[in-house]
Amino acid sequence: MKRYHVLIVVLNLFALVGCISHPQTAEEFRKAVPGAFSATVETFEVDRPFGQVASTFQKMGPNCLSKTIKTTSQTTTSYQVIVTTYKPTVLVKGKKAELHVQQHHEQGVINVSKEPEGGYYLLVADAQPVTQTKTRIDLYRPSMGHGVLIQAVRNWATGENVGCPDLTK
Amino acid sequence: MTCFPLPRLPEKRRAHGKRVAVGLLFCAASLLSACSGIKTYENSLDKNLHVHTATDSGSWFSRVRAAVDIHRVGVDCAIDYEGTVQLTGSATEIGIQPGRRSYLVFVFNSFSFFSNRSGTITYETLIKPRSNHHYDVVVSYKNDLYHVMIREIPPDRSASRELAPLALNSCRSSSDRK
Repeated sequence: MKRYHVLIVVLNLFALVGCISHPQTAEEFRKAVPGAFSATVETFEVDRPFGQVASTFQKMGPNCLSKTIKTTSQTTTSYQVIVTTYKPTVLVKGKKAELHVQQHHEQGVINVSKEPEGGYYLLVADAQPVTQTKTRIDLYRPSMGHGVLIQAVRNWATGENVGCPDLTK
Repeated sequence: MTCFPLPRLPEKRRAHGKRVAVGLLFCAASLLSACSGIKTYENSLDKNLHVHTATDSGSWFSRVRAAVDIHRVGVDCAIDYEGTVQLTGSATEIGIQPGRRSYLVFVFNSFSFFSNRSGTITYETLIKPRSNHHYDVVVSYKNDLYHVMIREIPPDRSASRELAPLALNSCRSSSDRK
């Protein structure tokens, strides 16, 4: 009987893992975020011309986010090392600028679903002009954690306190 | 109750013991610093890099330390670690070889006492300082955001320009073009 129960649990786990599928493209990520438990869409307007927002994305994205980060945490009973590589992509086409951020765990995290090339999508920011001096930002982002990254991207859009996020936080 | 004075070693032997203890401590410190792989940058050249540092971890339970690793870049674009300068004060003067490429790695090391968690994030750039030019570097870390800005100032201080970060592979691509 016990063996039977173990088999059921294992089969259910496999079924669950099969159900979890992560978006494989930025477009799939945009579509998945509104219905996702741990992600949200944030829309706001900034008092900056679209061209300035796009050039800040182009400048800061690669400079700040093309990083491999190692974090170490230790308790009395555990020692954990996580190595994560971030991949930013900035696309500027006509009247739309896109910033995609992907993350790939090199060490310390087990992936249970198929990972897109470059890593799982973490954040997508779309910028589009509203007027000559205003730009609309659609931020598809996690609703838990990664606060520093989200704040940095918001700052790149507003142009205030422009800096790189400490991705170890 | 009777107290007996502790036997005292002769003056000469105590002095010798002190010297041995200091020597052992020095050896231990040297071994530890050698194991960490960090060496202090010699910093003997004319000072052409003026670094202004401001760090604030934003919490009593965490700290952030800033430092810059200086690497010599060879003609084949291979890097050779020359040493580290800890950016402890608000102003630090550093001398790097003009007319030759160096690779600067600004290191921000954060540690949270509460969660016993540490992490390191870096900002890297290639730089080829021009002779008689000065370089103002602003290094800041606040609210978990960091910023490094390098401005090149000519000898007559007429106009300065901000230097965009240059990745190490830009050295290889410029060498390939030659």
